[in-house]
Amino acid sequence: MTSLNLDFSVLDRPVRKEADELTSTLENDVLCGINTHDQYFTIPRVEDFSRFQKDVVEHVKPQHGTTTLGFIFEHGIIIAVDSRASQGPYISSQTVKKVIEINPFLLGTMAGGAADCQFWQRNLGIQCRLHELETGKRITVTGASKLLANTLYGYRGRGLSMGTMVAGWDTTGPGLFYVDSDGTRLKGKRFSVGSGSLFAYGVLDQGFRHDLSIKEAAELGRRAIYHATFRDAFSGGTVSVYHVGPDGWTKMSGTDVGELHYEYYPADAVENPERHGGGEGDIFVPKKREHEQNREDGEKKKDSSPEAMET
Amino acid sequence: METYDAVGENNFNPSSYHGNHTKQHATWSPYDNNGGTVMAVAGEDYVICAADTRMSTGYSIMTRQYTKVDEMSPKTLMASAGFMADAATLKKLLKGRCDQYQFANNKPIGCVAFAQMLSNTLYMRRFFPYYAFNIVAGLDAEGKGAVFTYDAVGSYERTNYSCQGSGQQLIMPVLDNQLKTVSPLVLPAVSSATPLSEEEAIDLIKDCFATAGERDIYTGDAVELFVMNKDGIRKETMPLKTD
Amino acid sequence: MIPSRTSHSSSIGPGVVPRGADPAYDEEVKREYDLRKNIPHLGKGSKGRPFSIDPNVGVMTRTQTPYVTGTSVLAVKYKDGVLMACDTLACYGSTKRYKSIQRMKLVGKYTVVGFTGELSDFDYISTLLDELEMTDFCQDDECPRTPKEIYNYLVRVMYNRRNKFDPLWNSLVISGWDYVEKKPFLGCVGMIGQHYVDDHVATGFGNHLARPLFRESWKEEMTEQEAEKLLKSALLSCVMRDKQMMNKFQLSKITADGPGEISEPFAIDTRWGYENYVNPTKYAPGAW
Repeated sequence: MTSLNLDFSVLDRPVRKEADELTSTLENDVLCGINTHDQYFTIPRVEDFSRFQKDVVEHVKPQHGTTTLGFIFEHGIIIAVDSRASQGPYISSQTVKKVIEINPFLLGTMAGGAADCQFWQRNLGIQCRLHELETGKRITVTGASKLLANTLYGYRGRGLSMGTMVAGWDTTGPGLFYVDSDGTRLKGKRFSVGSGSLFAYGVLDQGFRHDLSIKEAAELGRRAIYHATFRDAFSGGTVSVYHVGPDGWTKMSGTDVGELHYEYYPADAVENPERHGGGEGDIFVPKKREHEQNREDGEKKKDSSPEAMET
Repeated sequence: METYDAVGENNFNPSSYHGNHTKQHATWSPYDNNGGTVMAVAGEDYVICAADTRMSTGYSIMTRQYTKVDEMSPKTLMASAGFMADAATLKKLLKGRCDQYQFANNKPIGCVAFAQMLSNTLYMRRFFPYYAFNIVAGLDAEGKGAVFTYDAVGSYERTNYSCQGSGQQLIMPVLDNQLKTVSPLVLPAVSSATPLSEEEAIDLIKDCFATAGERDIYTGDAVELFVMNKDGIRKETMPLKTD
Repeated sequence: MIPSRTSHSSSIGPGVVPRGADPAYDEEVKREYDLRKNIPHLGKGSKGRPFSIDPNVGVMTRTQTPYVTGTSVLAVKYKDGVLMACDTLACYGSTKRYKSIQRMKLVGKYTVVGFTGELSDFDYISTLLDELEMTDFCQDDECPRTPKEIYNYLVRVMYNRRNKFDPLWNSLVISGWDYVEKKPFLGCVGMIGQHYVDDHVATGFGNHLARPLFRESWKEEMTEQEAEKLLKSALLSCVMRDKQMMNKFQLSKITADGPGEISEPFAIDTRWGYENYVNPTKYAPGAW
């Protein structure tokens, strides 16, 4: 009976070389371990590692806040994200690029720790490129997401914080995976990740149909992120929408949330209180009912007209 | 999305990380916040990196003449606030790497490559972070001003202006007000270069530090500006209030 | 050349014994490692070998809290050198336990190191400095270490130990004559590696009591006499307000002219007869 040899090395934990081996060569010191699979991180010499991590994280004050979403429909995948990063109540950036362009056919999204996402998705890009060089073929979305999930599983319990989606187009068509720092990896058609995800899900689930046109789908993604930024204080900035099709991804739109607000809630012509109100002591009260009615009309109109999108 | 904050309470109690000692000793923390403000503004053909020179611990000032900006390569400046021992170690390490780069490639490291290297170096200490808040400023391959802004564990972004450290919350809104341009994420793309001339930017930075010095106890004594343009790097110093 | 045991290694940093330097020590370390190899983050993969490993506990930090401590060290630069002063007391808690401890150490010809904090940790630092000095002496190249080099070395030692969560509980003041740049040198290193150079320095309580006096009166072109006077007035305010300090001081001087000197202990005139000290409640209505 012959035995079947399978290569399970993909399931191995990432190899981490020990301090002396890695840092003793200048070459590795310069490379910093980034263009190898080996990772060597300085580990604090404390017995209670988790507790130390907790305190470090408290010390450097991380806060959550992001909205990202992705969904598969008839003509491919839509990925939409906001662009805000916060440190506690302080908004540290309004221009974060939360879609990481791994290669022309693969996108990753960022939610959770900014550095964790940036570093590991870059690492994923390296792994995917190496796969291409080894096999001569583009990596599948399944494969790419599994590489990321395996990497993250190797660091489970170390305090990484990431919630990402890996989206792309391969030989099997569109693929969308949710991968997070617990090691979870889910295949799906519709995901939203981050503190504003529930708001985004609300809009997304309500407006989703499989047979949306690309324009309609992009508009749905944009609207869902916009409404999340409206209700979630930790989301905001610019809404970026990407489409992934058989020829790879394209960026569909990047729009400032401020502008979107006036698109979804057009400002009413403000009546001049002095002209209408007249004398002193009069308080200007907007005609509430009419005002609200206008707004609802406006919103409905926008929702049903995909032409409203500007790209 | 989360990034890591410069100003944190010292809430470490590392004695408790070691075994089950119930006795509470005087607490020791591997971190300290030595304060200080660093900022940078990039223009079309120049970049300015500035920092105050105060170094404090708690309510006492250790020295009034500590330079926080370093020339890492002819095209790269780096400024760090936070815990100075971490920042100094980091700079020492990076300077060594810059030298190695020079030896290997026979040219000095560019600021974009340096920016990525700093990010990787910071992330290598993800589980025991450098408590340093860095800004990298330099001229890119096209001679355009570039500013890179970081959090403690290496997430970074290229911007046109940035401020970090104890005066961040005071200065950043002013910079947004004066310098904010269309987000680089917006489509169709709009140029997002800082509209100021070099002289105007220098004045703005000086004003920012003078203002922050009024309200932030960790900012003061003097501000050092390193101005980099096609002619090289020049340094200006302006005294601040010492109170 | 006979290999000498050194306490610093190029790859791991100061404060550890490199492998191969001492086979007996290596054996000992291996034994300790085997005992704690199952402890995550400490066993396999942790290659630094500080003296702090207790095989029974896994990690033991040597100084979690200081026991026998010295208080402030004060130092000022002047025209042609540096003066440093501190008392000769080492306290055990608030007990004035050891009253004739010299808290400054001459390192080589041009450097004096003074310490605040744990006495035993400074003893260890002394051995490091002695080793450093010995190798320097053996090289016999008429190129002794400058105070700046010793300062930078001590910064790395302190910072490396904090990285191991095993700090040396000291603040160090390094003064000396930089014969290369022909200038006095004065620097300070803290427990977790914070460091700075300045024209005047004070550690511990002195940072609150003496530093303001220095800032008020220090001048670039001070003579030795002026500097000494300033230092003694600062010592006076320290000894009268710092309960951990006593009136027995030593003064060190380092100039371009050669070996630094550490003076014999001396006392300064104190006056406790202030009206407020004699009758503290006199001007405090409501007190008794």
